[in-house]
Amino acid sequence: MPKIKRHTIIEILEHWVLALSGIILLFSGLGCLPLFKRYYITEIPGFAWTGDFNTVTTVHYIASIFFVMVVFFHMFYHGIKGEFGLLPKKGDIKNSIKVLAAMIGLGKEPPSDKYLPEQRIAYAGIGFIIILLTITGIIKVLKNLEWVVLSPGSEAVNTVIHTLSGFVFMIAFIIHVAVVICFKSNWPLLKSMFTGWIDEEYVKHRHARWYEELKGKISEN
Amino acid sequence: MNLTRRKFFVVSSALISSMLIKSNAQAVEGRYATIIDISKCDGCTDESIPRCVLACREQNKSRFPEPKKPIQPYWPRKIYEDWSDKRQKIDTLTPYNWIFVQKLNVEGKDIFIPRRCMHCDNPPCVRGCPFGALTKRAYGNSVINEKICFGGAKCRDICPWQIPQRQAGVGIYLKLLPKFAGGGVMYKCDLCKDRIEKGQEPACVLACRDRLKENAVFVFDERKKIYELAYKKKKEEGLFIYGDRQNGGTSTLYISDISFDLIDRALNERNERFKMPVDVKNKIQTTFNPIGKVVITSGFLSIAGAIVAAVVSKNKKTDGDENAKD
Repeated sequence: MPKIKRHTIIEILEHWVLALSGIILLFSGLGCLPLFKRYYITEIPGFAWTGDFNTVTTVHYIASIFFVMVVFFHMFYHGIKGEFGLLPKKGDIKNSIKVLAAMIGLGKEPPSDKYLPEQRIAYAGIGFIIILLTITGIIKVLKNLEWVVLSPGSEAVNTVIHTLSGFVFMIAFIIHVAVVICFKSNWPLLKSMFTGWIDEEYVKHRHARWYEELKGKISEN
Repeated sequence: MNLTRRKFFVVSSALISSMLIKSNAQAVEGRYATIIDISKCDGCTDESIPRCVLACREQNKSRFPEPKKPIQPYWPRKIYEDWSDKRQKIDTLTPYNWIFVQKLNVEGKDIFIPRRCMHCDNPPCVRGCPFGALTKRAYGNSVINEKICFGGAKCRDICPWQIPQRQAGVGIYLKLLPKFAGGGVMYKCDLCKDRIEKGQEPACVLACRDRLKENAVFVFDERKKIYELAYKKKKEEGLFIYGDRQNGGTSTLYISDISFDLIDRALNERNERFKMPVDVKNKIQTTFNPIGKVVITSGFLSIAGAIVAAVVSKNKKTDGDENAKD
């Protein structure tokens, strides 16, 4: 079956490094809260280490190296290349509702670009949370290094924002995974996030605008 | 969204610059420090309650917790920490007793050690509280904000001396998910924050001086003077110091004519709840900060890599058929 390239190797790496480091950060971040002992997580074989705040914080710090690297790389690489296709456009909210309705069999999905309108909205939302987490996390690191000295009030506010946005990130992450897994129409997108390629038929059907654009380019050549 | 390349650079540069601005608004080493001279403490054995303990309780009684009962256990556990029926207990730290005098026999000699928060220079409790309920003040004291403390007791777990104490049935957790998260409010010495902010000495210091005059156990002063005085005593009188290096430095210096190795050994032999380990590493300085430097460095390297990769990629001609394959 003819295929169309949807993601470059750089985009695939960005996605999975962010996902894996994000999962480790979420787990170790929850471990930085006094929850694991209370909820018997530390008693699961192999999880005793999660009861030690110094160990989970060390894991959190190590995972943040990769998370921060990907966030900055993503912003600068695509920013310089002028690739802003994932940023929301006018009418995305209305079209997102149509896409979501179509996923459960209500109505017809509107023709889409390379990214679905609800993907662009989700990207902006998760992107905002990730930036918030990254900035507040870096401030925490710089503060611990004593490279910046915060007033007690700002330190407290920064800490609370980091903790609360971590919870929002966890919810957004769960929704993101659930939407991919629960709707069969999204499964080809998951496959393309590993291979980089997607069936031409799928693009023709679901990303009609992108398909038209690609067809124009290909016939020009 | 219409985001031009120019706007993108402006926003990115502003974000990075704002992260790197260094402020000297507050020094990590606080303004004040305390000497607690164990060699002078007699534990007020001729009185019903040590003066420092009594003064602390009087000073802070309006802040002691009044829990709502019945108190729910910390689900799914069946336990909860309630000291409200043991308010008169003075031989340990509790939410109602923020300083106590530890009695110990070391090599045949009775010694008395007033114990309270050490007020670390780089306090793990402050850095580790996930709700920002603890703050390090410019005066050198670390303070718990009881209004936003969830009582998870992480501060106690990461304190090298396990100082903060929890009372269930009070605090903000009762208004959110009392069954599932939080456990009350943590309490500990804040060096009489309201007093020292007005230029007064902490209540325990005054009470001790009132009893022992120039032989007082506690000396409270500018940090520089306190450190100089402690080191002078160490040099001239051969005394031992505790608190200057432990956990990366603190605002509390114990001085003693008995070594702290011996004191801690005796505390361990008696399986005391509050010990005095001599080798206390500050994990923020020894473990987290080296990794933190890698986080910052890799962030910058990543930006450099992104710029190079983007420029190379832009200069590379792409063929249309690269986007399709059979």
